Amino acid sequence: MREHKLKVGVSGVRGVVGEYLTPLLAADFAQAFGAYVGRGRVVLGRDTRFTGPMIEHAVACGLLAAGCEVVRVGVQTTPTMQIYIAETGAVGGIGITASHNPAEYNALKLFNGEGLFFNHYERTELLDLFHQSDFNAATNEEMLGVTVDETTPWKRHINRVLKHVDVERIRQRRFRVALDGVNGAGSELSVWFLEEVLGCDLHAIHVDPSKSFPREAEPKPESLGDLMVLVRAHECDIGFGQDPDGDRLAVCDELGVMLDNNDMLAIAIESALIKAPGDVAVNLTTSNVVEEVAAKHGRRVYRTAVGEANVVDRMRAVKALIGGEGSSGGVIFSGTHLCRDSYTAMALLLDRMASEKIKLSDLDRALPRFFRRSGKVQFAHGKLGGLMLGMEKLYPEAQLERTDGLKLLLEDGWVHLRASNTEPILRVAVESRVESRADQLFSDAMTLLRG
Amino acid sequence: MPSSLRISTVGVRGIVGPGLKAHHALEFAAAFSVLLNRREPIMIARDPRASSVMLREGIVASLLASGRDVVDLGLASTPVLQHAIQSTNAAGGISIGASHNNAEWNALKFLGSNGTYLSSGEASELLDIYHLRKFDFRDWTQVGRLHFDDEAIERYINDLENVFDFEMLRGLKLVADCSSGLSSLILKRLKERHPIDITMINATLEPKAFAHTPNTNARTVGLQLAPVVQAIGGDMGVLFDMDSDRIAVCCGDGEVVSEEMILPLLAEYQLMRQPGRMIITNLSTTSMVEDVASRYGGTVLRVPVGRQHAMDALAMYPAERIAVAGEGTGAVMLPEFRFVYDGIASLLALASHLRQRGTSLKKLLAGMPSYDMRKAEVSLDAKRIPELMTELEDQWAGAKMDTQDGLRVDIDNGWFHVRVSNTEPVVRVIAEMREGSAEGLMSKLLDMVRSYA
Repeated sequence: MREHKLKVGVSGVRGVVGEYLTPLLAADFAQAFGAYVGRGRVVLGRDTRFTGPMIEHAVACGLLAAGCEVVRVGVQTTPTMQIYIAETGAVGGIGITASHNPAEYNALKLFNGEGLFFNHYERTELLDLFHQSDFNAATNEEMLGVTVDETTPWKRHINRVLKHVDVERIRQRRFRVALDGVNGAGSELSVWFLEEVLGCDLHAIHVDPSKSFPREAEPKPESLGDLMVLVRAHECDIGFGQDPDGDRLAVCDELGVMLDNNDMLAIAIESALIKAPGDVAVNLTTSNVVEEVAAKHGRRVYRTAVGEANVVDRMRAVKALIGGEGSSGGVIFSGTHLCRDSYTAMALLLDRMASEKIKLSDLDRALPRFFRRSGKVQFAHGKLGGLMLGMEKLYPEAQLERTDGLKLLLEDGWVHLRASNTEPILRVAVESRVESRADQLFSDAMTLLRG
Repeated sequence: MPSSLRISTVGVRGIVGPGLKAHHALEFAAAFSVLLNRREPIMIARDPRASSVMLREGIVASLLASGRDVVDLGLASTPVLQHAIQSTNAAGGISIGASHNNAEWNALKFLGSNGTYLSSGEASELLDIYHLRKFDFRDWTQVGRLHFDDEAIERYINDLENVFDFEMLRGLKLVADCSSGLSSLILKRLKERHPIDITMINATLEPKAFAHTPNTNARTVGLQLAPVVQAIGGDMGVLFDMDSDRIAVCCGDGEVVSEEMILPLLAEYQLMRQPGRMIITNLSTTSMVEDVASRYGGTVLRVPVGRQHAMDALAMYPAERIAVAGEGTGAVMLPEFRFVYDGIASLLALASHLRQRGTSLKKLLAGMPSYDMRKAEVSLDAKRIPELMTELEDQWAGAKMDTQDGLRVDIDNGWFHVRVSNTEPVVRVIAEMREGSAEGLMSKLLDMVRSYA
C-alpha cells in the first residue's frame, strides 16, 4: 500500500515534515491562501509541534508575499484562533497543526474571515488557485508587516466560554479534576482555566508545551491510560484528555473509565439543551443516542457528511444550538463559536455536574444504551463501487442514505461505510441496541468487504 | 514593471513581486545550507525594506527545515553581520537588502564562515545546488532553532575601538546622510559612547519611502548632504548607502568629492602607517592609486571588475601584506576589518587621516593631482564583441595591454578600459588622462565601439 506522507487537497496541506511537507510547499500554499482571502489581516498560530516555528516562518513568508498583514498569535488552540479571527475582523487565518496526527506530521488548517473552516466551495477555489500558481506577488510598496498578539486571543476565547455556564456554582463544588494535555497548544490554558477560573483541584500531566507528545495524539481510551490511572489515584470527579490543538476532548468518569465519545457528546448536547432551546447537527457516523437525547427535549437532529466543516455548515444553515462528531470527541456549541472546542465541552460537563449534583458515571448510565463496532478495510482503487453494491444486496430491506459513502438504515441498527479522504481505506461503523446484532452486522460487513 | 531578476555568483537581486519572489528566498537559503559543510549556526540580518521581512521569513523557514540553527541580528548592516560571523563560530550568513538600489529592489548576499563574500568557486557551486534543487530538508526531530542577537552592533563598535582612536576625532564636525538606512543605528551608538560630533540626516529607517535613492554617487551627495554640511559649517559630509558598506563624501564647503577619490585617500592613510603594502583594485579604477603606491613604496594589483575578483585576489595574499582593497565606487576594505566593504570604517579612517595630516579635506584634495576620467556605456550585440576587442588590440598594438576583463590599455599619460558589464548587456568604456583632456581618447574609443552597435 502506498504510504500517504503528503496530501495536498481540499482539506489543505498535510504531510510528514522534511522530505514531504517542505517549507517551499507551505510558503507556496500560504501565498495562494493570501491571494484568495485578499490583502487584509491573516491570523497565524500553531500548536506545540517542534516543526511549528519552521512552518510558521514559511507561511508568514507566503502571506507577506501575497500582500497580507500577518498577525502572529504564537501557540494557541484551534478554537482560540477561530474565535480571535471572528472577533478581530481578520480576513482569514492559518493554524499550523496536524491536529491528532502523529508528531512527524504537520498541516495547515485554513479559516475564513468568520473564523470557520473553509467550506467545500472555498477549499476547491483555493486549490485551483494554488495549482494555477499565478498568484499575486506584492511589491515592496504594497507589502504589509507582521504584528504579534499572544495574550488577548485566549482571554477572548475563555470569556466566550464562560458566558454560558454558572462559574460560581462550578467553583463552589471545587471539583477534583485530572487532565492530560498531551503537551499540546492548550496545556497552559487548560491549567489556568481549570485551576484559576473554575476553581478545580487539578491533577495535570503532560502540560509542558516545550516537550514532545508523550502519547498518541488522538484522545481515545487506548491513548489515555495515564489519565485513567490519574483519576483513580487522586479520586477525581472527572478526567479530561485533549488533543494537540485543543479542539477535541475525551472524558474519563470518576471510576476511571473512559466515556465513549458518542456518549460524551450526548451528555454535552443534553447539558446545552437544558440551558437553551435549539436543534442539533451531527455526522452520519454518530450514535443514535443523540436522537434520543434530542427527542427528550423535543428537538430535531440533522445528519451531515463526516467532517467538522460539514457539521458546521449545517449548524450555520439551520441555526442549530449544538452539534459535533461522536467519533472524534468534538463538541461544537454555537453559543461559543461554530467550532469544536474542548473548553466549552469541559465547562458544559462541569456545569451540569454542579447543577444536578450528579456523578459523571450516573449521567453516562442514564443514557440509552447502544452497541457500536467499527473498523477499517483497505481497498483497491476502482473496487469501491462493487463493494458498496455488495452491501446493498446484503441488506435489500435497508433504507439507503448516500450523503457520505453509504449508510444502510435497518430496523434494529445501521451500517455506515465511507472511504477515507486521505487514504485508500474504507471505514466501517455499525450500531445496534442489541449487542449480538451489532457483532453480527459488523462481522457480516467485514467478511463481505474483505472479499 | 520590469521583473529585473538577476541570479549570479554575486547573489540574487531583483524587483520584489514581479522579479524577486518568496520562493527565491526559500530555495536559495536551502541551497546555501547544502553548500556549507560546517553545522554551526547561520547568521542573518536585514535592511529596513518591507520586503526584507518577507524574505527573512522564507530564509528562516528553509534554514530551520535544513536542520540549521539560525541567529537573527534583525536590522543590521552587511558589515555588522560580517563582523558578527567572523567573531563567532557561525558557519556563514545571509544578508537581506539591496544596499544602493531603490526601495522596490531587494537582494540576498551570501557570506562564508570568515564573514567574507563567497569565492567564485563557492558562489558557482551555490548556483549549481540552486539549479539542481537537491535540498537537504531534515525530519521533524532535526529542525533547527531560531535565536536572536541584539548585541552585534555593540560588539562591532568594540572592535572599531580597537582600531581607531576616537579621542583623536574630538572636535571634528561631521555630517552623515544615512539614506534612511542602517548606518544610523551604528552612528547613534557611536555618538552615545564617544565624544564625536556627527550630525545625522535621513536617520530614520524607512521600509518604503526612502529619503532619496541610496546611491553613493556625486549627484546624491549634492542633493541634501552638501547643502547641510555647508550650512552648518561641517568639516566633512559622508553619505552612506542603505547598508553602509560604501560611502561618498563632500568637503566642508559642500564641494562633492569624486567617488574615485575615496580609495586613493584611504590608500594613502593606510600606506603612511604601513609603507610597502599592496593595494588591490580593479582595472577600471583611477591610476591615482599607482601614484599613492609609488609614493609609499607600495604596489598595486589590478583585477577584473566585480567583488568576486577582489575576494579571490585577497585570498591569495597574507593580510599583513595588503594596505587596502577597493573600487572606484567608494566601496573599500581595510585589513583591520578583515576585508569587508565597510562604510563606517571608511568614514573613521578618512576622519583619522584628516586629523593625522592636520588639514582639511579640501586642502588634502588640493594636494593631489587632478586627472580627467570619462565613463560611458554602449549597448552592443554580444556576438560582435570579439571583433571589437580584436580591432582595439590591433589599433593599440605595442602598448601595454591587460586582457583579464575585456581590454585595458596603458598609454602615455593615461589608460582606457573597454569591458562587457557583468549585469547588463552593455559595453563600458572608461578612459583617464593624467595630463590634458580625455575627451579626444574617449570619442575615438566611442566611435570604434559604436561602429559595432
